[in-house]
Amino acid sequence: MTMVLILALLTGAILFGIGVYGALSQTNLVMIMMGVELMLAGSMVNLVAFWRFLHPEAYSGQMFVLVVMTVMALEMAVGFGVAIARFRAKGSVEMEEAEALKG
Amino acid sequence: MYAQAFFVAVFGLAAIGFGVVVFRTSSMVRSALALLFSQTAVGCMFLAMQTEFLGVLQIMMMATEMSIMAIFMVMFMMDPGGLGGMDMSHQKRFSIGAGVSAAVVAIAVALLSDWGPVADQVPNAEAQTRALGMELLGRSMMIFETAGITILTAMIAATAVAIPVQNLASKDDKEASE
Repeated sequence: MTMVLILALLTGAILFGIGVYGALSQTNLVMIMMGVELMLAGSMVNLVAFWRFLHPEAYSGQMFVLVVMTVMALEMAVGFGVAIARFRAKGSVEMEEAEALKG
Repeated sequence: MYAQAFFVAVFGLAAIGFGVVVFRTSSMVRSALALLFSQTAVGCMFLAMQTEFLGVLQIMMMATEMSIMAIFMVMFMMDPGGLGGMDMSHQKRFSIGAGVSAAVVAIAVALLSDWGPVADQVPNAEAQTRALGMELLGRSMMIFETAGITILTAMIAATAVAIPVQNLASKDDKEASE
């Protein structure tokens, strides 16, 4: 059983790494959001594995997964709102052209 | 147990493989579909780990979410078909370094930690769903309600951001000049 837990955790870790690469390397806002989605998916795999193999009696683990799913949906909604506003204003969602947003 | 390990490994590999394809293909539609398959494989991993409700929820949510994302990508990308072979990435070395470092640290924690005793059995799907419902409307009700309010706020905020701003001052000037 520990082997399955480790397999799930490895999958979560690699998905998180791919997500970090995508969020940092892409220039397009929608692609950056895809990277964030992969990072959140990696964290969800870990949470489900922890619930299933370590604490199946504590349903707050599943609750936490629901919260992460909510965060994914919110990230999409707000991200697309910003993308629409940016596309209307500048005709592009390329983040390299958004240097004015730098602090 | 071996069947569970097999399915977790197969779906895990599928999730990773499609996750890599997301950033390797130059076609935006393929990219969105690869993310959809990756997230579906994650949902199948949940099913393989006997978390039926969350697995089905993940697959249903991601099918909808990624379909919308594909539409937005075709709308907003300069080269949605990827026929021009544009490179839409920057700071590649830094990104690869950061991604590999994050994955290596997480893998090290996974492999080197003592996870203690591992549960063999979990409640069946019906008991799980019932217990999760009791958790949502009991001890975690405040978190659940906060999530609901946050979703509503985000919906209003996203709509407000997306609505085009009308410059009333310039409109008045235009009317006055006419």
